[in-house]
Amino acid sequence: MSPFTFVTLQYSSGDWDSAPLVPANLIDSVARYTSLDVLPTGVMVPLSSSDLMRYPFAFLTGHLPVRFTDAERARLTTWLDRGGLLFVDDHNHDVDGAFHKTVTEEIGRVAGPLVNLPNTHSLYSAFFSFPDGPPTTSQELNGWGDNLVHKNLQAVLVRDRIVVLYSSKDYSSEWGFHPENKRFQSIDPTRFGVNVIVYALTR
Amino acid sequence: MTAAEQVRSTRTVLSAAAVLSALLWGAAVALATVGMAALTDWIVALPQGARRLVLAAGIIGGIMAAATVLWRARRVRSAERVALWLEERVPALRYSLVTALEVCDAEAREPLERDVAKALATVAAPTRAAVLKAIVPPAIAVTASALLTATLPAGMIARVRHPNPSDILERRAPAGRPLDRLAPLVATVTPPAYTGLASATVTDPSSIAAIQGSRVAVAGRGTSEGLDAWIGDSSRTIVPTRSDRWQVEFAMPRIPMGLRLRDGNRERLIVLEPRPDSVPVVTLELPPRDTVVRAPRGRLPIVAQAHDDFGLDAVWVELIVSSGEGEKFTFRTGTIGRVDAAGARDVTLRTELRLDSLALGAGDIVHVRAVGRDRNDVTGPGVGASETRAIRIPRRGEYDSVMVEAAPPPDVEQSQISQRMLITLAEALQHRRPTLPRSTVVAESRAIGADQARLRRHVGNVIFARLGREPSGEESQGEEQEAGGGNAPLTPQQLLAAADSATQVTAGAATDFGEDESPVVAVNRPLLEAYGAMWDATRALDIGEPGEALPHMRAALAAMERARAAERLYLRGKVPTVIVDLNRVRLAGKLEGAGSSVRTPDARLDTTRAQRAARLERALDLLAANPSASLDSLLALRVDALGREPALAAALGRATEALRTGQSATEALLLARRIAGGEPLQSTTPLWGGAW
Repeated sequence: MSPFTFVTLQYSSGDWDSAPLVPANLIDSVARYTSLDVLPTGVMVPLSSSDLMRYPFAFLTGHLPVRFTDAERARLTTWLDRGGLLFVDDHNHDVDGAFHKTVTEEIGRVAGPLVNLPNTHSLYSAFFSFPDGPPTTSQELNGWGDNLVHKNLQAVLVRDRIVVLYSSKDYSSEWGFHPENKRFQSIDPTRFGVNVIVYALTR
Repeated sequence: MTAAEQVRSTRTVLSAAAVLSALLWGAAVALATVGMAALTDWIVALPQGARRLVLAAGIIGGIMAAATVLWRARRVRSAERVALWLEERVPALRYSLVTALEVCDAEAREPLERDVAKALATVAAPTRAAVLKAIVPPAIAVTASALLTATLPAGMIARVRHPNPSDILERRAPAGRPLDRLAPLVATVTPPAYTGLASATVTDPSSIAAIQGSRVAVAGRGTSEGLDAWIGDSSRTIVPTRSDRWQVEFAMPRIPMGLRLRDGNRERLIVLEPRPDSVPVVTLELPPRDTVVRAPRGRLPIVAQAHDDFGLDAVWVELIVSSGEGEKFTFRTGTIGRVDAAGARDVTLRTELRLDSLALGAGDIVHVRAVGRDRNDVTGPGVGASETRAIRIPRRGEYDSVMVEAAPPPDVEQSQISQRMLITLAEALQHRRPTLPRSTVVAESRAIGADQARLRRHVGNVIFARLGREPSGEESQGEEQEAGGGNAPLTPQQLLAAADSATQVTAGAATDFGEDESPVVAVNRPLLEAYGAMWDATRALDIGEPGEALPHMRAALAAMERARAAERLYLRGKVPTVIVDLNRVRLAGKLEGAGSSVRTPDARLDTTRAQRAARLERALDLLAANPSASLDSLLALRVDALGREPALAAALGRATEALRTGQSATEALLLARRIAGGEPLQSTTPLWGGAW
């Protein structure tokens, strides 16, 4: 088997590289907590590139409006059809923001409408247990962005399997620190990222 | 009554009888034609096309019969012929009637009139007999035809008089068999009003294709009691439309499904094929690409084309202005140039964006796209959007690093047109070459070569501009060289070296353009290739060899086309690469709170096709033993395949239709099996997954 590779998606609009430390942080967590074979560094893959078909999981984030090109839309549709899982995080933590509005529209066009993911979903027990659903972030608790604590993540489900996971919780900021600094945290906030990756690889 | 009056009276009676007879014969023939056709249709079903001809045939036959009768009675118009007819039937007249008509002298006619008067009493009988002979037979024929049509079942005459696809339900059921309420069926499809499409009727369908949201009514013979209908898991109400008809009505679903009808232990499956109303296709023609403007001033022309299959409602341009940087962004949205399309299928939107009206600041980005909305008020409205163009105002610190060509017309495309012209000239010269003296060929070839050299300098100039050098650097050097100046123009190698230097890529690696190539080199790569090819072409043209120059010229054109079609440049620079020390991390790792459940890997995700192929095989295995069940299985498989594998669905559609109508389905089933089997699989994708 090929080792797991963390993919950050490059899309033509917006700031796709707004969370440069998230890949290393999640790779560190995957290595730290699981026995998954994992590459020590992530890759950036253009959304329109056929290279995307080599990977089962991709991460997409940003602050600015997301408008896919036709080629990007076609590639993403094919990739999702073939079993890829796309994790989208709103770096603005703002449900009225341009990122949220535009990316949810694009997801709707490519994969279908997003629905609230119940907090009992198997995603929350794929590795670590999160009985209360998605962990909150400091952006939510400090009232940044839309000043809301989002109780649920959203997802596009195909035959009960998540194909697109959407978060308005701004995990991009929450996980955006150097992995060396985990030792200063009482609870590692990236543990939920491990669940997302393990879910993507096993479901 | 004089002889003349007698003849006129008889002629009137006979004429009336002839006309009445003609009308009766005409009606009898028309009725008989329709009645016989209906009777034949009752016994052996006539095709709809033949039934359409029956009424016209009846009318034409009736007219011909009436015309024949009138033609045969044409002599009744002549008084002499009527007088002779009377003389023939009343011998006592002894030609006095005919003679009286011919004699003009009153004195001579008087004895004749007396003879006629004596015989008048006997004239009425043959006239009456002739009238009865003319009228009674056609009256009997009309009565018999009317009786024939009256005794036929009610719907049979209607099938002949107004043939339509739904009158299959009026056909009698086969004698000696119980009424089959599930066959035949008639489906009437009424598309949504916004489409402007007419209703359509399908006879005994195995599948019904219609626009999503269309009203579909499926009707059959017999009562509605004991009949059940489902679409998917949803039960549908079957209602009686008259004492011996039932109907189920529903809206065409959004996804392919099956309409399952059940009568006791009999079942029938009809595939519902929803045809989606396509969302509008919108193309943004201007601006043709993302761009950067130094100052937020001026007007930006916007041109968009929109097309919809059933008609557009409106088209407009949508703007999002994003401001800010880092973690702090603000957004403004708006629309301009709205066009009410009023149902037009094609709309061209032309407007302009006044940049100064947006109060843009440094670092702001305007996202522009055209949006079209259709008139779908049932499942929509469908909204389509063009690709988005980003217009960016650079920050002061970015002036020396953001190098994106301005909005059209770009220089490279102008060069491309010129390159095409040069190729045409060179091809023409090469074609005329056998007929021209060598000196002429060399002269003309050098002229083309001079143009090619100028174009090469122009392309080099574009590259230099992108590399941040003085735009006129290479061109001025070339002009100097042509004027006998000291500096020679840059060779491709020198230009590459300049590119390396400008983008800090080491010498030698520049020609490979590996993953580490800088974005500036990446976007210039095809232009550099074009530059090199033009150089080779110029050399060949200068020695009078247009044939040798042409491959290089075409290569230059192809390279410029690649440059034009190059993907967008990610201007955001490189993300710092953080390499995790996995061994170190794993040695220090702790496992806290991990679930203890045993996980098993799921089945491969690409088994859907294999499952479909297996289902097809099972259905085919059933075909000999239980054709009905096999047909249902194939229809159910078609419902499943409609969304994902249209080719398989089409093949299955042909196969099921052939099986249902008793024709050979072998070819269609072979095709379906081939499609379901798919291409021979060869795994080129690495397996996904983790360590367990």
